[in-house]
Amino acid sequence: MKAPALSFSKAPVKFRMPTSANLVPIRLDIEIDGQRFKDAFTWNPSDPDSEVVVFAKRTVKDLKLPPAFITQIASSIQTQLAEFRSYEGQDMYSGEKIVPIKLDLRVNHTLIKDQFLWDMNNFESDPEEFARTFCKDLGIEDPEVGPAIAFAIREQLYEIATQSVASARESRISKKGRRGTEHATSSKSSGSALDLVKLFGYRSSVVRKRKDWDVYEPIVDHLSNEEVDALEAREDRNIR
Amino acid sequence: MELTQRDPSSKPLRPDEPELDLYTIPSQSSWFLWDEIHDIERTELRDFFDGSSFTRTPKVYREYRDFIINKYREEPTRQLTFTDVRKSLVGDISLLHKVFKFLEKWGLINFSANLGNSSNVSSSNSSSLVVVEDEEDKARVKVEGTIPNAVRVGASPNSPKPISAPPVVGDSSGDAVESGFKLPPLASYSDVFGDLVKQKGLVCGNCGGNCDSGHYKYTKGEFIICINCFKNQNYGENRSMDEFKQIEHVENSSNQGAMWTEAEILLLLESVMKHGDDWELVAQNFQNKSKLDCIAKLIELPFGELMLGSSHRYGNFGGLNGNKNGANQIQLLSSELHESLKTEGQSHEQINEKEQNGDAVDEGPPSKKQRITSLSDAGGSLMKQVALISTTVGPEITVAAAEAAVTALCDENSLPRETFDIDEDYISNGICSPTSSFEQERVLQDEDSKLKERSTQSETQDISLKRDDIPLTVRIRASIGTALGAAAARSKLLADQEDREIENLVAIIIETQMKKLHQKIKHFDDLELIMEKEYTEIEDLKDSLLAERIEVLQRAVNAGICRWRDHFAVKS
Repeated sequence: MKAPALSFSKAPVKFRMPTSANLVPIRLDIEIDGQRFKDAFTWNPSDPDSEVVVFAKRTVKDLKLPPAFITQIASSIQTQLAEFRSYEGQDMYSGEKIVPIKLDLRVNHTLIKDQFLWDMNNFESDPEEFARTFCKDLGIEDPEVGPAIAFAIREQLYEIATQSVASARESRISKKGRRGTEHATSSKSSGSALDLVKLFGYRSSVVRKRKDWDVYEPIVDHLSNEEVDALEAREDRNIR
Repeated sequence: MELTQRDPSSKPLRPDEPELDLYTIPSQSSWFLWDEIHDIERTELRDFFDGSSFTRTPKVYREYRDFIINKYREEPTRQLTFTDVRKSLVGDISLLHKVFKFLEKWGLINFSANLGNSSNVSSSNSSSLVVVEDEEDKARVKVEGTIPNAVRVGASPNSPKPISAPPVVGDSSGDAVESGFKLPPLASYSDVFGDLVKQKGLVCGNCGGNCDSGHYKYTKGEFIICINCFKNQNYGENRSMDEFKQIEHVENSSNQGAMWTEAEILLLLESVMKHGDDWELVAQNFQNKSKLDCIAKLIELPFGELMLGSSHRYGNFGGLNGNKNGANQIQLLSSELHESLKTEGQSHEQINEKEQNGDAVDEGPPSKKQRITSLSDAGGSLMKQVALISTTVGPEITVAAAEAAVTALCDENSLPRETFDIDEDYISNGICSPTSSFEQERVLQDEDSKLKERSTQSETQDISLKRDDIPLTVRIRASIGTALGAAAARSKLLADQEDREIENLVAIIIETQMKKLHQKIKHFDDLELIMEKEYTEIEDLKDSLLAERIEVLQRAVNAGICRWRDHFAVKS
């Protein structure tokens, strides 16, 4: 079978986090007997699984939660790790893939909106470092903001990665069936990616037009206590 | 340690071109060129140059780089953050960050902004010259501070601050020196000049002329008119004569230094020859110059040339600065004894500092670079200048220079040589004793040594007290003489060395040329030989051909055949 050499003849990238550290974003949201535990952190998938239980015990002890949480936390982490590992070894995408990352999050009293581009092929990227720079440049003092930003980025990258795996699989199946449609599927699979030729082509400049600056500019708001309360109430309502 | 001057727009470089901006980048980044991508950039940011993706090309890199640098230079004193730039650039955020960090690391951005902060921290140190020895890093920055200290880059379209012509600086920096010598070590040129221009701003508000000799100040606001305009009653709109206050031309205004004409300098030299130390008389020959101006100018003259000659490589800036330090110091010294006593106190302190330094650093003379460093950024006193100059030469030379200076002074003023004798004893002691070279050198200044003795040797208390009687001017002249002598010796040495070097090089060149010629001759000889051989061969060939032809003809005749064709016909 002759594979037509498209302009990007690189072998597809095997699944991993498209960052320098291959860390799994883990989000916990557990409610037992009216007590709710929410947390978000990253986990190194190559760590032994025994660590998970140790971590769960430790967290419960530190936060003085009822012991019932231990198993819940451990199993939640295990599930998410297992999901991550199920993608490992699969093809993700091939060729250029630069995706827009949009941040819209609230950490305590800080509201952050931002938008920027992320190269899924740059395996030296470091969301944590980006978040640190972000907080330093914008003078954010709340120590929880940085990790939250990094986590939000990782979560989105993870999602894009898993989606690419799914679409790569899909296109492989359809390739077997009908060879003629592979172009259509490949363009579909990179649906979320940008029109890179247009952005980086020979004629265009990588300096944005002035009117776009506002779009890609980070917005940081500091909320008052009342606003935070109102927002939290609304979030709760949305969940129910 | 060289800063290069560059003009990206490839226009000829004129110092007074107003639309050009001067920016400072650290000397280690002098490889930077707008038009090119340097190997450092290629290796550190390999992503752009390995052709791995069409989103990472050298073109893209240059756009990133140029944009970020230009953005920073719109406001060089402000710290540019990554968040400021990234909104304007299309591309992978991590890659952009990498470029940003690279530029920041090399000081191509945020350099002056950082220095603005750090210079405040170090300015407390820099008033004394301790900095030089114990902190290699800082010393380096200092050197750059006194070099024409910016790299001329970027006529960037948004350049906000025009610069004034660099040569002016040497003269006017005196003011900066007086205020504790606070030249920001590496702030950009534009900053430095910004301040100076303001200080020089005695420009008539009416005719735009210079108000050097004096001016009238408008009491109800910031407005100045020159004497001429005042006399002609050109007060400007809505202003009356009563509202102006005459300001006599300011004594320490450093513009005066620039106002000396050739003729005036000659006159000054003549009158100094005639009147000697009597500055009142000297100054009488000049209408618009004070005693202090005359002294300052005189000191500036030979000194300046010497300094300019020897330190040309390090920039006139530093040299002139040094002069100005000296000049100001002289003014202080000669005008008020109190002042001078205070300076002595300072230099006394300085000795102690130096001593500590000498202990901290290795014995033996410091490396050349360090010495030069200290030369240009000495703080205030003349004594310090002398001390610095004497560090540039060996202690023996300084001793000789000091002795010569003292002798000359003694001859001239018929002073008892005994007044200096103790010093000389001390000097010889200093040389014999294997103490640190700093001490030896420092000791060479009379007052310094005196103070030193006072602090270290209590038994010579009375002697040193006695030596307080030496007239101040004599002391100053002695030390100036020492300094000049030392510098002269130094330059002689340097010149000799250069001569030898040049001779050596010329010899090498001649030798190489000879070799080349020999090679050529040999080559031609070979060629000739070959040609000859070939010629003989061809001759031989010719002969043999002729012989053959003759033989063939002979045979044909013998056989009686006239035509080859017939022969063939017969045969077939």
